[in-house]
Amino acid sequence: MTRASSGVEKTIWDRLFTALVAAIYIFLMFPIVLVVVLSFNSGEFLAFPLEGFSLRWFEALFSNKRFLDATLYSLQIAATSTIVNGVIGTLAAIYVARHATVARDYIRLLMTSPLLVPEILTAIALLFYFYEIRIGTDYSIGIQIGHIVVTFPYVFLNVSSALFNFDRSQEEAARSLGAGGWMTFRRVTLPAIKPGIITGCLFAFVISFDIFNISLLLKSLGKNTLPLELFDYLRFNFDPTAAAIASLSIFMTFAAILIIDRTVGLRSLRF
Amino acid sequence: MTALTIDRINKRYGNLHILKDISIPIGQGEFVSLLGPSGCGKTTTLRCIAGFEQPDSGRILFGDRDVTRALPEQRDIGMVFQSYALFPHMTVAENLSFGLEVRKVSVPNRQRRIADVLAMVRLEGYDKRYPRELSGGQQQRVALARALVIEPSVLLLDEPLANLDATLRDEMRFFIRDLQQRVGITSIYVTHDQAEAMVMSDKIVVMSAGTISQFGSPREIYERPTSQSVAGFIGRSNTISGKIAEALGQDSYKVDTPCGSLGTTGPAGLAKGTDVRIMIRPENIRTLRHEAGTGHQQGAGEAGHGENALAGAVINSIYQGSANQLAVKLGSGDRIVVDVGGRNPLDVGEQVTLRFAARDTWLLAS
Repeated sequence: MTRASSGVEKTIWDRLFTALVAAIYIFLMFPIVLVVVLSFNSGEFLAFPLEGFSLRWFEALFSNKRFLDATLYSLQIAATSTIVNGVIGTLAAIYVARHATVARDYIRLLMTSPLLVPEILTAIALLFYFYEIRIGTDYSIGIQIGHIVVTFPYVFLNVSSALFNFDRSQEEAARSLGAGGWMTFRRVTLPAIKPGIITGCLFAFVISFDIFNISLLLKSLGKNTLPLELFDYLRFNFDPTAAAIASLSIFMTFAAILIIDRTVGLRSLRF
Repeated sequence: MTALTIDRINKRYGNLHILKDISIPIGQGEFVSLLGPSGCGKTTTLRCIAGFEQPDSGRILFGDRDVTRALPEQRDIGMVFQSYALFPHMTVAENLSFGLEVRKVSVPNRQRRIADVLAMVRLEGYDKRYPRELSGGQQQRVALARALVIEPSVLLLDEPLANLDATLRDEMRFFIRDLQQRVGITSIYVTHDQAEAMVMSDKIVVMSAGTISQFGSPREIYERPTSQSVAGFIGRSNTISGKIAEALGQDSYKVDTPCGSLGTTGPAGLAKGTDVRIMIRPENIRTLRHEAGTGHQQGAGEAGHGENALAGAVINSIYQGSANQLAVKLGSGDRIVVDVGGRNPLDVGEQVTLRFAARDTWLLAS
């Protein structure tokens, strides 16, 4: 894009490269488009050919109590993860950026480790741990902690990068103007890192809503998150309700991206 | 009366001794520059005054008030940063209002003071703009206004012009100096630019490696440097080594050099036989075409009535627009840089006589 706009003559290799990138995107996006299309199909099966436009599978979804419960449960867990991480992820980022000295890089690595360790390992480790401390999977607290752990790095990393790009002399300017520590944070630092917090929180929400492995191992008895419920459903049914659920999830992700773009701008996304 | 006293402050980072017994008395309304190369401790000194750093020992007094352990927000300072450090999510007016809100100034008073200070920095009508909508120079003026609107007891400036381009920088020097004099505020200015320090300051503190090399008016620092490093850092200078032959008066000496003996001026009390370096500024040397054959050999090394003459050959000539800078090699092998005004009538290789007055020289300890 930059090359095209800079007016450089396009070579055959540029064109081939563009075609390759386009092919990769089509390959990646096609299944998603397919699922959305199928969710609006009036046919009985999750298959082609299309028979007609219908919202019956969305209707089926919203009239199915199990799916509704699962959706609410997922939303509840995702919302809690978002709020908790919004606070502790931000505080952790501030600590690492500002106060950690000696072991700073190690602490940073530790904070991001839930991203680096395979989710299933984290899930197994937490499962052992919860049995060890006699929580087991009897309560929602287990799965909730699991979701918080796995989505924590998204808030941490986004806020860290916002802090890294923040000119600290602004804080010093505020102090020199007579503002104390709290007022400086509230009036100067917080507005500056707000885009990072919002972006991180939206990521945490979407990821928490979608993750499967952690939920599978840590879920409490008789309660399913939406992805788990979907998985259960697909084992015995193969109708487009599943596609409707998937579409719902995709719409939510797009909504999140839209919110990020409208509030803080996609360009502020950094990892 | 001293508005600000820095009294033997020391600062260490691990094994690095950043500030070594720094003491600076600053009078009410004075503009004092801390000048030196990077790493000399000038910024650390400023940050100690601001309260962003704590000295390990020593005291800092604002008037009679000991602020050594006070937090920055308790000190009543205005500070201007190299990066401007404006709050990007606030308009110009909101930036200026911040310090007034902290001080609980009433809304009408706030508005009046903001309008006044905006007029002062010639930014009337810019109050609704955001910092990103302003040029670098305008942003710097907003930063200055934000520091001044709270009417602090001391104004601290940390290389405020370093991010501006050369023309704007020249303009802003006079702008800041003029504003400072009108407001009459005691100011401390950190810079590594000696020309900036020269034109703006009442006093200059030349620093190097955590110590003060010299503290004085720009004229004292330029004409009467106390060491070769100060002489070299402020403006261009030539030095010729020699030994004191005799004291001619309280501050005038005859100095024996490889080019002969020269009449010089220097600090009082230099004993006969002391090794010294004679400093001469390029603009104080007159260059004359050597008149061979007239027999009038204006002697190399004749210490006349305060007037010295040295013979040499032009080895290099650089056109600088307003003047030519010539390099002249003396018989002794020393290289002397001189300024020649107007069109340069001298060519490389030509024999010349350099003339300079004893009062334009200054002796430095060798």
